[in-house]
This record gives sequence, C-alpha cells and structure tokens, in this order.
Amino acid sequence: MIDQTRSAPDVVADPAPPPDEAARRATRIPLWANPRIGLTIVLILLVAFFSTVRPSFLNTQLTLVPMQADISVYAVVGLAQLAVLSMGHMNMAVGRMAAMGAFASGLVYDRLGAPMWVDLVVGMLVGGLLGALAGLVIARTGVNSFVVTLALDFALVGLVSLLYSRFTDGVAFPKLAPGMSNLRYDTMSDYCMGNLCGPPVPLVVPFAVVAAIAVGVLFRWSRLGREILMTGANAKAAELSGIPTRRRVIQAHALSGLLAGLAGFLLAANSGAFSASLGDQFLLPSFLAPVLGGTLLVGGAVSVLGTVLGATITQVIYKGLNLLQFGVDQLKLYIGLVLLAALSLDRLRHVLAERRGVQA
Amino acid sequence: MTAPILTATGLVKMFPGVRALDGATLSLRAGSVHALLGENGAGKSTLVKILTGVYKPDAGEVRIGDAEVHFGGPLDALRAGIGVVHQERNLVPEFSIAENVVLHHLPNRFGLVQRRNMRAEARRCLDLLDLELDVDTPVSRLSVAQAQLVEIAKALSVDTRVLLLDEPTASLTGDEADRLYAIVRKLTATGHAVVLVSHKLEEVFAIADTVTVLRDGRSVAEAQPLAGYTRGQVVDLMVGRAYESVALEARDIPEATPSLEVRHLSTAGGHRDVSLSVRPGEILGLYGLVGAGRTELAKALLGLDRITGGDVLVHGTPARIRDVGEALRSYRIGYVTENRKEEGLFLEQTIGRNIGVTIWRRLAKAGLIPDRAERGAYDEYASALSIRAASARQLAGQLSGGNQQKVSLAKWLAADCDILIVDEPTVGIDVRTKAAFHELISKLAGRGMAILLISSDLPEIVTLADRIAVMAGFEIVGELDNDHAYDRMSQAIIRLIHAEPVLATAAASGARPAESGGVAASESPDGAA
Amino acid sequence: MSAPRFIGGSVVRAPEFTLVCLAAAGFVGMTVATHGNMVSGGTLEVFFRFLAVPIVIGLSQMVVLAIGQMNLSVGVLTGYCAMVTAWFMVAQGWAWPLAVLAGILLGGLVGAVNGLLVVVTRINAFIVTLATMTIIDGLRYKVHGPDTFQNYSPQLQRIGRGNLLGLPNVFLVAVVVAVAIWFFFARTVAGRHLLASGGSPFSARLSGVSNDRSIVLAHIISGLLAGVAAVLTVALSGNVNASVGDDLLLPSFAAPIIGGVALAGGVVSVLGTCLAAFLVRLVDVAQAQFGINQRWVDLIVGAVVLGAVLIGAVRQKLAARSAGAAPPGSSPPEPRPPTPDTSVPALEGAA
Repeated sequence: MIDQTRSAPDVVADPAPPPDEAARRATRIPLWANPRIGLTIVLILLVAFFSTVRPSFLNTQLTLVPMQADISVYAVVGLAQLAVLSMGHMNMAVGRMAAMGAFASGLVYDRLGAPMWVDLVVGMLVGGLLGALAGLVIARTGVNSFVVTLALDFALVGLVSLLYSRFTDGVAFPKLAPGMSNLRYDTMSDYCMGNLCGPPVPLVVPFAVVAAIAVGVLFRWSRLGREILMTGANAKAAELSGIPTRRRVIQAHALSGLLAGLAGFLLAANSGAFSASLGDQFLLPSFLAPVLGGTLLVGGAVSVLGTVLGATITQVIYKGLNLLQFGVDQLKLYIGLVLLAALSLDRLRHVLAERRGVQA
Repeated sequence: MTAPILTATGLVKMFPGVRALDGATLSLRAGSVHALLGENGAGKSTLVKILTGVYKPDAGEVRIGDAEVHFGGPLDALRAGIGVVHQERNLVPEFSIAENVVLHHLPNRFGLVQRRNMRAEARRCLDLLDLELDVDTPVSRLSVAQAQLVEIAKALSVDTRVLLLDEPTASLTGDEADRLYAIVRKLTATGHAVVLVSHKLEEVFAIADTVTVLRDGRSVAEAQPLAGYTRGQVVDLMVGRAYESVALEARDIPEATPSLEVRHLSTAGGHRDVSLSVRPGEILGLYGLVGAGRTELAKALLGLDRITGGDVLVHGTPARIRDVGEALRSYRIGYVTENRKEEGLFLEQTIGRNIGVTIWRRLAKAGLIPDRAERGAYDEYASALSIRAASARQLAGQLSGGNQQKVSLAKWLAADCDILIVDEPTVGIDVRTKAAFHELISKLAGRGMAILLISSDLPEIVTLADRIAVMAGFEIVGELDNDHAYDRMSQAIIRLIHAEPVLATAAASGARPAESGGVAASESPDGAA
Repeated sequence: MSAPRFIGGSVVRAPEFTLVCLAAAGFVGMTVATHGNMVSGGTLEVFFRFLAVPIVIGLSQMVVLAIGQMNLSVGVLTGYCAMVTAWFMVAQGWAWPLAVLAGILLGGLVGAVNGLLVVVTRINAFIVTLATMTIIDGLRYKVHGPDTFQNYSPQLQRIGRGNLLGLPNVFLVAVVVAVAIWFFFARTVAGRHLLASGGSPFSARLSGVSNDRSIVLAHIISGLLAGVAAVLTVALSGNVNASVGDDLLLPSFAAPIIGGVALAGGVVSVLGTCLAAFLVRLVDVAQAQFGINQRWVDLIVGAVVLGAVLIGAVRQKLAARSAGAAPPGSSPPEPRPPTPDTSVPALEGAA
C-alpha cells in the first residue's frame, strides 16, 4: 500500500542467506543504538535549552502543570494510533472517534446525570465500538485501513456536527459531571494526608499513565498483543499459525477507538467542555508521537515508551516556542522540521544497526 | 572447440558479515547449455546477479569475448548481450506484452512512445520463439508459463548471446517445462549460450552439456562436460564430501484407527472424490506435480477453503475444521507450509517468537506470557532440531534456509501435534540438512505421529513414505505401497500420473528410455542417470 | 484470443463506465429536480467554475498515488502558492502572468523537495509529506500573517470569472491540464516509466527504469498541479488568505479513490478522477440547492468513498476466487481466465 522503502543497498533483491557462522552474532542492542536513550537525551537538552532561555519554563503553576496535562492527552492520542500501527494499519479517524466518545460522555451526563466514571466508560465504549466497526469493515473486505478510516472520518465529521446541534444548544455540553472540574484544576499537591502532600502533577496524568502501562503490558506480554503484532508482521503466516487474524484486526482497531475515547475525555476535562471540535487537532500528533518514538509504519513492533517520549518532546517544543512568543505558524514550521530531523537520524541509526546485523 | 563467449574469473562479493562469492569462475561457450549447480548459500544467485548487472563484484572480472566489461546496472548487461529470466516473474502486470517486452528501450520520438514501432518490435521478439500471443494483451491475463515465455522473448529482444535461466521450471507443469526445454534447444542450435540454474538434477542431466558447481562461493568444478559425472558425483561436489543416503530405521506401523482420514472429499477449489488416510506412526506420501492440487487439499483440510462434499475424520470422529487455530487446538493438526519465507515464518521477528506463536496460549499465566517460558521452548526445540542460531532473540530472517525450515517445523512440534502435514519440506535446502530432515521426519513417525508428506521430490517420497498417494488434476489417481526401491516406485508413479507407458519428462525422473523425444542435444551415456 | 480494445493506452475499465453512468444519471436527476434550473446559464456556469480546483487537486494526488505513495502536503501547498502568487502581485507589483508562473513553479519546487527527501532519506512518503505539510502549514501564515490579499490584478480576476465558448475559463484550464496528464501517462516514455515504477518497481529496475527518478518526477508534477490549483483559486475568488487549502486534502484523495485509482500504485485514471470530482460537485450543488445540511453531505461523500472501494475490492475477490487463485509456489493447471482491473487498493500486508 504505502511505499515502504527500506534501507536497501543499490540492489534489487536479498543477498544469499548467510552461512551458519554469521548467524552466531550477538543480538544485544548496543546502548548507543537504543532509540529511547536518544529521545531521552533530546528531551533533556530541550528542557535545558528552554529553561535557560526562558526561566518561566520551569514555573510549576504557569508551565509545568498545564504541560503535563497536555502531554497526558497527546500521549494517549499517540497510543491510539500506536494500537493500529502495530498491525501496519492506520486510523485516520482518531480525532472524530474522540469527538464521538466525548459526545456520548457529555450526553450521558446531560440527560441522565451519570457520574464522571460512567461518563468516561461510556465515552471509551463508543470510541471502541466505532473502532471495532472500522476493524470489521477492514477485516471483512480486505480494503486498506487508510481508505476505510478516511471514509469513516468523512462520515463522522458530519455526524458529530449533526449530533451536537441536535442535542445541545450549539456546539458543546457546557456542564460537566462533578469531579471533572477537579480533573481540570487540581493537582495532586491539592490533596494532603496530614503534612504530606502530593507532587504538582495534574489529576489527568494518572489516567494517561495507566493507559500507557496497560498498552505496554498488552503488547509486550499478553497473547492478544503479541498476536496483533505477528498479524502485522506477516498476516499470511499468522493465519497459518493459528492466529485468528480477523478478530485481531477488529480488536486492534477497537483498542484504537477506546483510547481515542479516553483522549477525548481527558481533553474535555482539560478544556472544561465536551465540544464538537474536540479531536480536530488529533491527527498529526497521533502519528507524530509514535513515529518520533521509533515505531515504524510497517507493523510488527511498537514502542509505548517511545510514543510517550515522542508526545512529551512535541509538547515541550510547543510550550517552549510558545513562551518564546513564537506564533502558531512558526510552531508548526519547527515541529515539522523536528520531525524530519528526528526521522533522518532514526534512519541513520537503522542503517548502522543493520550493518551490524542487529535488530534495530 | 570455440572460444568462450563469456568468462568470469575470481569473482568476490561481500555483504555485511557474509562472503557470498569467494573467487568464483565460470566460462560459457556458444551453442551450449551450461548448468550452474550448488546448494543454497553457495553463491549461485549472487553470481547470476553479478553477470546480469544487478550487483557489482568487489573483485574479479567479467569478460565478453576478449573484452572486460563493467556493468553499471541491469540494462548494461542486457545491452551487452546477456539476458536473464529470474525465478519470479518480472513483468509489469498492467502493461501489455508489447510494452513489457520493450520496456527497456521504448521506441520513442521526443519522449513520446511510438506505439506502432513498439508493437512491431514485440511481434518480432515473440516470433523468435514462435509465440502466438497478441502483443496487446495485458500481462495480467497470462498464465505463469506464458509470462515466462514473454520474459524470454524480452531477454532476446536485444542482440542477446547469453541467456540465464534461474530455476525456470519451478512453477511449471510437466508439459510447460517440456516446451521450455524445446525452446532452450532451439536457442543453442542458433548459437546462443544458455545458463541453467536449477536444483533439479534430473532436469540438469537431461538438457545440460556442461556444468559448473559452486560451493561456499567458489567454483569446485568449472565448465566440465556433464557426461563425465554421475549424479552421485555431482552431489558430492556440491556437498564437499562423499555423501551417502542415510538408511532410515524401519518402522513398525500398528493397525489402528487412522489419525486423519478423508473420504470422498470435494472442495470449492476443485477437488473431486479425494480419499486417503494416515494411521498413527505412518507416513503417507502425497506425490504430484506443480498444479496437482496437493497444497490446496491441505489448505482445505485446515479450513482455508470450502469443503463441498465428503467427510474429514480425525481419530475416527467427524471433524469440522474452520480455521488453522481450530485444527491445532481441537484436533492437534499442524501444517508446515511449502513457502516458509512468506507463509511459515515471521522473518523480522525473533526465533523465540516464531517458535512460541503456537503455544502462547499454553504458556500464558493470567493472560501474560513470561519470557522465561518462551525461552524454555526455544531451548528445548533448538537443541532437539539442532537449530544453529545465536540465541532466541536472533531474527528468523538471518538464518540459513535449512535452519529457517527447522524453525518453521519447531513451532508445530512445540504445539504437540500428533498429525502433521508437511508440504515440500526440503525445497531449497542443502543436501546435508535435507538428510537430517528426512531422519527427523522418520523419527517423528516412529514416535507415533501421523504424517502427510506432500512432495514433488521423487527420491524424497520413495525414501520416506510408507504408502504413496498420487494426485493429478485435483484427484487421486492411485495409491501404492512403498517398497523403497527407487526405480520401480518411480516408474509406477510416473505411470499413474500419465496413465500411459512411461514417457520420461525431464522434470519427473532421471531415467531416459530410448524413444523419449525430449533428449538433450548432447549424447550422454545412460550411466549419467 | 481477441485483444481487449486499447483506448488511449489503457482499456476502458468497468469502474469508469459506472462513473460515467452515475455522473450522467446524477446530472439528469439534478436537472429534473431543479426544474431545469440546473442547466440555465448562470447555474451551469457556476457549477463548472467551482469544479476546476477539485479536478486539479484530485489529479495532483493521483500522480503520487501512481507510484504507490501519498502527498499529504497537497492542500497546504495550494494555500502557500496562492499566498505567494498574490504577494508577488500586491507587494512586489508583478504583472499577473509572471506571478502566476512563479506560483506554479513554487509548487513544483516544493514537490521536488518532497520527492528528493523521500528518495534520499528513504523515509516513507506518508511521513515525509506529513512533516512538510506541517512546515508549509506554518509557512502559509508567514507570507501575510492572518490577513487577506485582495484587489490584486483586475485582469486576472476578470479571466478568473470569465467564460470562453460558454464554459468558465478556469474549468477549461482544468480540462487542458487533465488532458495533459492523461497524455503524459498514456503516451510519454517518462509517464510509462512512472507507472512501471509504481506497479512493479523491481521489474522496472531490471528494465533500466530509475525508480528514484520516477518518484521525484511524480512529486514535482504533483507540486506543479497544486500550484495550478493555487493560481486558479487566486483568479476565481478575488481574495486569498492563509486558510486556502485547509479543506483540500480529503477531496484530493476522494476524487482518485472514487475514480478507481489504486493506492498500491501502477494504475491511474484521469477520466475516473475527473468524473469523481464531478460527482462530488453534484452532491455539493444538491446540498446548496435543497438546503441539505452540509454535514449530511459529508456523511454521504464518506459513505460513497467507502462504497466505491468496497465494491471494487469485493469484485476483485470474487474474480480471484473464480480464477482459482493459486497459492504461491504452484501454478494453476491451465491458463488463468481474465482477471478484473487492478485499480483497487491491494490487501493490507500484501503490498
């Protein structure tokens, strides 16, 4: 589908298979080649840079707390895309799935007065169902995930608007469940047990942390996650090895929708309302975080930690440039350049690792 | 004795960590068929790619006639008169025959394609082979054999003097292969030199005049007349030591309900009234040529194709198998595919994962799979099958062909199957590992496994199977008890396939009776068979 | 075996025929529903005038799809080129022909950068153009901030709103461009090489075709077409600001996809892309005419895109089954019956 050019030398096919002694090479990845280390270093450098140039970067209330809240949202957005990148698929409708989930959350509170946790679960379920629908169409028809989710996105844009205009005064549910304003304004330091108060970490962060850990454990250790990765690595071999590939496709997309729903809820918490425009800006960051974090588009391998680091770096850059009075347009410019630079470096890393016969 | 028209001397080619060619040499004379033999990994493919301009050698030289040549790319080689037909088809499916044949030199004026000239030129090339295809036909509508002939026509479109054919009959039926051999003979008669890279010794002995054998990147026999060798001697050269076929332990197969039985099966793929059965501890060989329907039968048994009639019984009870997972978990049936690179392995995943994929369900505790458990499975089967790899974390794609096939098999052994369908297990595997595989399969049967061995390798089937079912045209045309006497069994099998007195097709057997019309141009004594 | 009719270098395929029927039926339907209003001078003129940019933008994406890649920067590039063209006229006082030329060439230049990045870094084109899309998105605002350019070159605006032989000038330009692109792919060596690179890069390489050159060329053409779309926008709307192009990305995919172009590469359909753009425009007009909520329109378009691809994929599957699709490594016992057109996306993972 997409042109997946690998780092091929100027030849057209694979070289002869290596004789057995060549097969006895070490497979431990040298530390310098570990992509996550590189990202962490970049992150530290960026923070150092911005805080030197603008000391207010390190101001807890002004910068660090809101930034953590943003990182939480966009890390989950990145994880939503990661869920299908694991299969070599894409979800072009992440933003809209988030908006639909948010709509469901808002509706459930507005009409039924459901408590916050119920709103969250409902939102995630709606997202998950939409994802499952996309996965079902893809699995049944074999049509490219890009096309299916793109078409779904088209359709949902209209649907979201219609639903909001039908069920609200205009474009948003203004009243949120009690508890959500806590998510918006409080940090853990507002909660004290005796003299010990929590760190200045916004309450939305634990949601993102739990999501990241869950997704990480899923792909690293669970059978479901591994089978999804294997389906992404080689769908034919997966089917012939007894993996129910169709079911896994649906599940991967459902997971993506579920996480999109969560992201929508968290963004609503941060912004104070469930609105129709939630998720409009999700598409680019959803790819940015995983790709920066080293996840390839071909499937078969994912990095949750990389995605989180990628989201963090992106938000740090946004916040930093913001403090430096850069306009929105310049922000975009530099983010794009950062992405290109990061990708080129990653490609370099790949080429070097391949030369040593190591799994990059 | 004419001077050679193409010579390669001292070719060296290195890839990261691998010395693919280490001083290979080759020389070709006009009007002859030259076989290039060697095990997988010996360097044949690399040598072909250097001769055809795909790779540049790190050392050594290639000469055409007397002049040294340096190819900047595949097109240079073609223009120098060296044409090649690779193993996989290399045509653009959406284009017409005409456009494909002249793609490397589209007739044009000011960058605009001259379609009439294009068609005329393509017609000329097809006529060289007496091919009666309409040049405007889109290539996607051609059969594999027709597409291959178009590629040969394309290779001849420039003033080619040398034609390299890489495993040309791998995907052809017997008749199509015969047609190809006729074309090869016609080409040599008109002064071309043909290089045939092939694994099929029967084919080589039938049509080649001279042979070069590669081993570990070097030419251990160079441009020798084939007449001077027996098959055994050629194999010795390829392997590097005196090779003797391993005598397998005789097995006692107790009477019992068949593990797997198929009764009057018909499928959506075209099978009709197929019946066979395999008892525990028995090896049933399913012989047939390419296109006979054997792999399709296996896939139907695994639920990958619709069964339209008949029954499948596992241990005597009717089975409804909907997918591979069910075949494995409910019926303990495993399937080692014929195409390990694309269907049997996850090349970019670790060996540990490749082996563990079928047993994760069993290894999981509370839904999570401990690394140690997966490593344990790797340790057990890597040693049981002598898989030579650095560790469980090595990528499957980095292993040699033989080891890859072992990994492909290991995952079914780990899953504790008691019925195993093995499809062309030793294709593209070196002779040493092949023997090891045969021993292994025999041992598995000795331990009570029921094995359905699908193979088009006559010696392999005659060595291993207890009974042999012969399939042609999606039907079973006969079943034989195997007494392991090669000549007698192979004759009987061929007779079943053709349902008439034996006409040796080069692809099917090594014996050449006197009145076969397809004997190679050179005279070789029967002792070469 | 009788040869299929080759028209213009490719067989007229079933999906194109379907689209022609749909387009005709839709047009007739609209005419009837509006009591002939549809074909009245003014309405028809507006219809075709606003068909020009969607056609060109669809072709811009189609060219990149032909080599099996995507260009996500198509939309914002149009905006950027539009702003620069206007800037040349307003801030630099250039005459409109020069500014128009500069705008188009800028598009080609950016396209070249995209193509070179893809080739040199060997990074997936989706990601590369995602990055350049972000960069250009920002660059759009650097030209004139959030302000609007207007009152430039009255001559250009007159051309933009004018007609020739009853059809809007801009539409005629789009038609000329479409014919040129068709010609490129059907008759030129470079175009045929490009399709070979897209359909079978391995085979193309063996025939001496440079896949890298094809990639760069495709991106350059795509950029040039985005530039053309930009100058058409400048000409017809009379004012431009940095938001031009925001809503062009999805239509750039919708037209080729509905038009039957494969995401896997190697297949193009100029006619299909144009017809698809025509259909989408019809839907737009219907929406305006009958006051249908724009959102319903989006819903329908999404459904149509999905439907078009689904139908194609299902048809391909059925045909493959009837042809007795053989597993790899074996061949069917007799020559395969004709396979249907391959203008549908390849199955996931089978690329």
